[in-house]
Amino acid sequence: MSGIQRRTRKTSLSFQAIVDHAAPWVVPIALLIFWQWASSTGMLPSRFLPAPKAIVSSFIELSRSGELWTHVRVSTMRALSGFFVGGGLGLVLGLLTGSSRWAETLLDTTLQMIRNIPALALIPLVILWFGIDETAKLFLVSLGVFFPVYINTFHGIQSVDRGLLEMGRTYGLSGWALYREIILPGALPSILVGVRFSLGLMWVMLIVAETISARSGIGYMTMNAREFMQTDVMVVGILLYALLGKLADLLSRGLERYWLRWHPAYQAAR
Amino acid sequence: MSSVFASREGLTRQMPVEGRQYSRGVAVSMRDVSIALGGRTVLEKFSVEITAGEFVAIVGRSGCGKSTLLRSIVGLETPQAGSVTLGTTLQGKPDVRIMFQDSRLLPWKRVLQNVTLGLEPSFTPDAKNVLSQVGLADRAHDWPAILSGGQRQRVALARALVHDPSLLLLDEPLGALDALTRIEMQELIESVWWNQGFTAVLVTHDVAEAITLADRVILIEGGRVALDEFIHLPRPRTRGNSRFAALEDRILERVLQRRSVELRGDKTRTRIEEIDAH
Repeated sequence: MSGIQRRTRKTSLSFQAIVDHAAPWVVPIALLIFWQWASSTGMLPSRFLPAPKAIVSSFIELSRSGELWTHVRVSTMRALSGFFVGGGLGLVLGLLTGSSRWAETLLDTTLQMIRNIPALALIPLVILWFGIDETAKLFLVSLGVFFPVYINTFHGIQSVDRGLLEMGRTYGLSGWALYREIILPGALPSILVGVRFSLGLMWVMLIVAETISARSGIGYMTMNAREFMQTDVMVVGILLYALLGKLADLLSRGLERYWLRWHPAYQAAR
Repeated sequence: MSSVFASREGLTRQMPVEGRQYSRGVAVSMRDVSIALGGRTVLEKFSVEITAGEFVAIVGRSGCGKSTLLRSIVGLETPQAGSVTLGTTLQGKPDVRIMFQDSRLLPWKRVLQNVTLGLEPSFTPDAKNVLSQVGLADRAHDWPAILSGGQRQRVALARALVHDPSLLLLDEPLGALDALTRIEMQELIESVWWNQGFTAVLVTHDVAEAITLADRVILIEGGRVALDEFIHLPRPRTRGNSRFAALEDRILERVLQRRSVELRGDKTRTRIEEIDAH
């Protein structure tokens, strides 16, 4: 009797599950169908927005020629090198100001002042300093990435449980051992929040930098397509940014899930 | 046994109890220790002599300086005046460990790695032994987050025991546990103390717990020793015992003295004089 009951409930549950999973996609799919229909009837002119089918075929064509992958590779390299330079500096300075009162007094106020300048407001100066080549892009991405990592590292170190530090000292930990066993792991959740923020900003800064001027990369491909009114290529470029942004986010979530697997908030997900 | 424990100036006391080792414990001597925290005097010319291997419980109201006392023994607070001296062991400098009210396990290390904190990897077998001693051998590879409060305190105890301490300081380690877990933990602490022979100093606000575990209960009031009572009950002690209950009443009465005086006036004062005369 109970077996039958359980089975019935299971079936209804799985049906419910299908509905639950499908529901969020109903509206996007309907929109897509409407979009395709509007384009094919000429209601939506292709120089305004190309049909979904045109975008897909342009994507296939671009990736077959290899042109797309060159641009993706160039953009990714720019993003990553900027991320490592800016994020690395942010991490080192955050660790420094977080751990040493002296460094905090000396540096933190200055850094907080610079943080309040929107990075994009510096573009005219950046162009003046570095011209429009790779250095300018690297600088902009690094600058954008620096502050989220810096602030969250600083905050993470400051908020390491004093009780744990005290315990560590009574167990003979000091210097690097105390840092490795307690301070760094304690600050890690906060540092990873900074990394996630900075990955988002990394793409924003890159898009701006590549849109201003570039000879390669996704931004170049998009801007170049605009000159020739290739709206389908433009949309492919925009979608690529979205995709890469999502990938970066997934990557940082994966890191969180691995490094913070001790954390109760991540244990349910495991 | 009670005759052995009877002496109040018992610096040279022996504890000739079958099966109990004393070799490992160290004596603790605090002389005229004064500590002020944030401008407030916590301990004032505080002196106490603790014999090697003794189990001392320190009771008192919140903020009376019990924890500060422990922290000064382990070196987490430095006295402004006076001295804290520890005896030496055969191995030289005594190993002092402290257990806090919260377990202070590192959440990012598994149970076993928490126990071996600050030790070479070669201590892993020892750590496993100690874990099975506290009944948690099968939880060695769990994260602390999924353990219960009592289990966490047992891991913290194991982490202290793996160092073979000469002196174990317990800063209300059972304060946050439920009543049943407390009793289990008290039994565990008593048995490891009994078998390993270290000196133990327990800070607690629970007079019954102090009487259950300690050879000697010290009450701190106004930064000084207000009562120093040897407990002559045979171990293991049970709360049902009438002598236990009488002792608990007496100490509790003394702890609550100030409030009692306000409430009951002269009658209580006479009773305290009786206690002092005792």
